[in-house]
Amino acid sequence: MAAGWPEKDDQELLTLVQKGSRPAFAELVQRHTERFYRLAYRYVQSRETAEDIVQDAFVKLWEDPGKWQPGRNTRFTTWFYRIVVNLCLDWRKRKRPLPLDEEMPLIDEREKADEAMIRIEEQKLLEKEIAALPERQRTALNLCFDEGLSNQQAAEVMGMNLKALQSLIMRAKTTLRERMKTYL
Amino acid sequence: MSDGQEDKLDALLRSRRIEPSSPDLAQRIILKAQGLPQNQTISLWRWVRELFAEFHLPRPAYVFACTLILGFVVGFNTPLNTTGVDDLDADQVQGFLYADEAML
Repeated sequence: MAAGWPEKDDQELLTLVQKGSRPAFAELVQRHTERFYRLAYRYVQSRETAEDIVQDAFVKLWEDPGKWQPGRNTRFTTWFYRIVVNLCLDWRKRKRPLPLDEEMPLIDEREKADEAMIRIEEQKLLEKEIAALPERQRTALNLCFDEGLSNQQAAEVMGMNLKALQSLIMRAKTTLRERMKTYL
Repeated sequence: MSDGQEDKLDALLRSRRIEPSSPDLAQRIILKAQGLPQNQTISLWRWVRELFAEFHLPRPAYVFACTLILGFVVGFNTPLNTTGVDDLDADQVQGFLYADEAML
């Protein structure tokens, strides 16, 4: 890869991608694949599907980079989060989420067996309850807790104001506290 | 709900486990895109901006060019069969001559 790409910000890289630069596209992919994979995984709970969704999103970006309009004052990541979330929601509409694999390694083997069992149960219940939340509440939780976005950034991704987002998170947490009270 | 429960829930939400992605995921995406052509949809505004970016004219030149275009537009939109004040006067003179003929 050509020297100097890592110094360029996302917007500069996208401008180059719009001119057909493959190295700029490669740099963008290297830079952001893992972050968007994590987001997709939270929705689909399957590595293969999450990888397919991220690949699909980046391929769409390459095929039609003109969809990104730098003049709109939106950061690339905010805009691309929206694309990945929409692809995940499309996938969920087409297919019901698979139940969590009983054998999925959710915990460090070093932990004691009884503690491990409790944590596995906790996590399984948490994933189940999060999956049962309304779509927008789940998206808000994923963006704020998993992706580490600020409330303001998450609100931009979801196309709503800050107060609406805070209200979604509050309602989601109230529901989760209620349903998981035996573990809290 | 107590603060302890709130903190525990926050900690749980932040510690959700995730299956790691394939190490070659980024490379796969790059390779997949390599075989695909770009299909760019250029908006009108972007096209105009790119057009102007091609021609690095100084600002007075833009003003001159715009004035010229405006002149042409106004010129072409003005009807050709305009009647001036002088033409009206000529009609009145001719009318006087025809009146004499009728009496004869």
